[in-house]
Amino acid sequence: MIGDPVLRLSEVGKGFHGTTVLDGVSLDVPQGQFVALVGPSGAGKSTLLRLVNGMHLPDSGTVRTLGENPASCSRSRLRALRARVGFVFQQFGLVGRLSALENVLMGSLATLRLPRYGVMSYPRALRIRAVEHLDRVGLADRRFQRCDTLSGGQQQRVAVARTLLQSPELILADEPVASLDPAASVLVLETLKRISAEDGISVVCSLHQIELALATADRVVALRGGRLVLDEPAAGLTAERLREIYDTAGARDG
Amino acid sequence: MVSTTPATHAPAAADPGPLRPPWSARALIAAGLLVAAVAVTWLTFWWIGLSPASLAAGLDDTARLLRRMWPPDLPGAGDVAWMIAETLLIAVAGTGLAALVSVPLAFTAARDHRGPRWLRPAARVVVVLTRAVPTLAFAILFVRIFGLGPLAGALAVAVHSVGMIAKLLTDAVEEADPVPAEAARACGAGEVQVAVSTVLPRVFPALTGIVLYRLDINIRASAVLGVVGAGGIGVALQTALGSLNYHRAAGIICVIVVLVLLLELLSVAVRHRTVRHRRVRHSRAGRSAGDTTGTPALPAGRAPHDVGWDRGRVLRVAGAVATGVVFLVSLWSLNPDPGRLSGAWPNLRAVLTGMWPPAFSGDLLMAVLESLLMALGAAAAGAACGLVLALLTAVNTTPWRPLSAVVRVLLVVVRGIPDLVYALLFVAALGLGPFAGFLALWISSTALAAKFFADSLEQLDPLPHEALTSVGARRWQAFAAGIWPQFVPSFTGNGLFVADLALRESVVLGIAGAGGVGYLMQESIATLRYDTTAAIVIAIAVVVYAIETLARVARRHLL
Repeated sequence: MIGDPVLRLSEVGKGFHGTTVLDGVSLDVPQGQFVALVGPSGAGKSTLLRLVNGMHLPDSGTVRTLGENPASCSRSRLRALRARVGFVFQQFGLVGRLSALENVLMGSLATLRLPRYGVMSYPRALRIRAVEHLDRVGLADRRFQRCDTLSGGQQQRVAVARTLLQSPELILADEPVASLDPAASVLVLETLKRISAEDGISVVCSLHQIELALATADRVVALRGGRLVLDEPAAGLTAERLREIYDTAGARDG
Repeated sequence: MVSTTPATHAPAAADPGPLRPPWSARALIAAGLLVAAVAVTWLTFWWIGLSPASLAAGLDDTARLLRRMWPPDLPGAGDVAWMIAETLLIAVAGTGLAALVSVPLAFTAARDHRGPRWLRPAARVVVVLTRAVPTLAFAILFVRIFGLGPLAGALAVAVHSVGMIAKLLTDAVEEADPVPAEAARACGAGEVQVAVSTVLPRVFPALTGIVLYRLDINIRASAVLGVVGAGGIGVALQTALGSLNYHRAAGIICVIVVLVLLLELLSVAVRHRTVRHRRVRHSRAGRSAGDTTGTPALPAGRAPHDVGWDRGRVLRVAGAVATGVVFLVSLWSLNPDPGRLSGAWPNLRAVLTGMWPPAFSGDLLMAVLESLLMALGAAAAGAACGLVLALLTAVNTTPWRPLSAVVRVLLVVVRGIPDLVYALLFVAALGLGPFAGFLALWISSTALAAKFFADSLEQLDPLPHEALTSVGARRWQAFAAGIWPQFVPSFTGNGLFVADLALRESVVLGIAGAGGVGYLMQESIATLRYDTTAAIVIAIAVVVYAIETLARVARRHLL
């Protein structure tokens, strides 16, 4: 298994209501790599990420995530697969009325049998681990604060801690900093990058901001109109070249 | 002369264009509603034989009855306390059971339900049916199945409440932001876990509010359940009226009125407090959200994984435990021993098998029509009288402040007496028939409409009225141009709502012998004709649902 990619897309196509969103996209992501997925709105970035954890299923081509094909998984196998794949949302996906700690604990639901309500309904060992992960994102002292009283950047870091409690082998992040201010954006991306480097977790992160992508990622993949138009190491890329892609895309689509 | 002509004066020769505004659909609907209300009222008056002479005779009979009831004879304090306790326990047990059933039902009926596809329409049918059939109709059925006593009453309260609690909760579930649920799903959580962990905490405040509101309604309902033998203080009322002990009946009515008035005061106080509490919390949350670098929110001396027992947590847990204990006590007070429950099985089977096929008949449809006419006629007459009373009470329209206060107190007392009690009194005074039912509904519709109208009159924008007064409009002119146009939408909406409520009441007033389909229902159960009972329940559900839908559609197009 060593050397196998954690994620492999082969000629994947997907459409909604007759509109093609992804068209023949192939992509391999090896272990431990931080991949930035860039491209204009509507390029298919969110759809691609949702194909990986089986929230959407492809119309053509195959997806292999951590050695499994989400399209052919049973309900319970799909849940087991999702437990191994972390997902970070643009809108955080936290329950505002609950404490940061309880939101983090939700990341462990796939390993528990019964529904849970309240921090004390989770096993002690999980609570200790959840606090450790909150500590890693720098929010251990906020654990009992209601999430809707945290700032946007803090909420996104709570969401990252929730993902970490899943002990993921792959993290997908869908525009994780699109609703944050620049300083918070940098902090959230640095947190993700540090975790990726320390734990050897692959991250696929869609981003709008070219500069952030170049500063954070090992590799940049660009989508345009559902097709893969660029796939290069971040080190050799310049902001001007990437911006060119956005501009020609604008010219062609407009 | 030329110099005094305003510069904007248009030349007289030019064509001014159309001077009459075109007809709008809204105006047509409004006119149609008005015509329909007048027509239905006339039809009702003709049906029940209402004339000035018969009304005067009826009022005479009622006055004679009231004289026979004076002075009220109160039962002993211990008896009163026990009857009130039983009434409250029926309401608590019924509401609690309904809340427990409603939560899974609401999650199943919500739009984003992910389970088997046939479950969602099934859940919606349960919600609509239980909401459309009144508590008392269920009570008659359950008394037959489970025997006399509070168990049947509590179950009737529970089944009818499920419809309302589940419907309001479904709306709350559907309004909740879907992203947290999606996030939990992406963690690999199952659908039940997703619902409990991400949706339930967000709808919990809404659920608490709905359940408390329903408890308020259910205590009022429990007070009259005894009329059909389903426990509570109504049993004593029925016994007193049945044995023609009118002094005792008057005493019990006084107890019911005081109970309902105290409840009204309590619910006003609670609502007042929660609103203020919410405002305080909002301003606090706003401050701490801005403060992101301030002192850590973790109290000192807490182990890393320990939740700690701060004041909020202690209060929450204590509240939850107290609620649970009260609920369990209320269940225990229903005396649901296994022998009695298993003894109910044969009855249940007999009722259910006897219900198929439902036996519709001409008599039944006429009785439904009578209920409908009683309700709509009473609602129309009540809305007209209520409007006058509302104009007298609302602070911005009342001609004389002290009069406003007097009418207000009077209305609260009148609303405090349940419709069924009015119906029992009028039946005792005037004899069986729809006339008694109509008078009972008319009184309650008038009081209800007056309250709704006065509340919405006071919420109107006062500026147009002031502006008109300041340019020299007379009192009536200022009202007609400054208040009435603003008031029309809420007048129509509240009027339709009163009609909706009157219809729900009118189908059960027959239980007291006050006309309509309720009488047939009780008779069919007494004579074991369950096929007729089934047909009546279906007819009631269809008519109530149809009127509710009509009212909703009319409101949407008018408001």
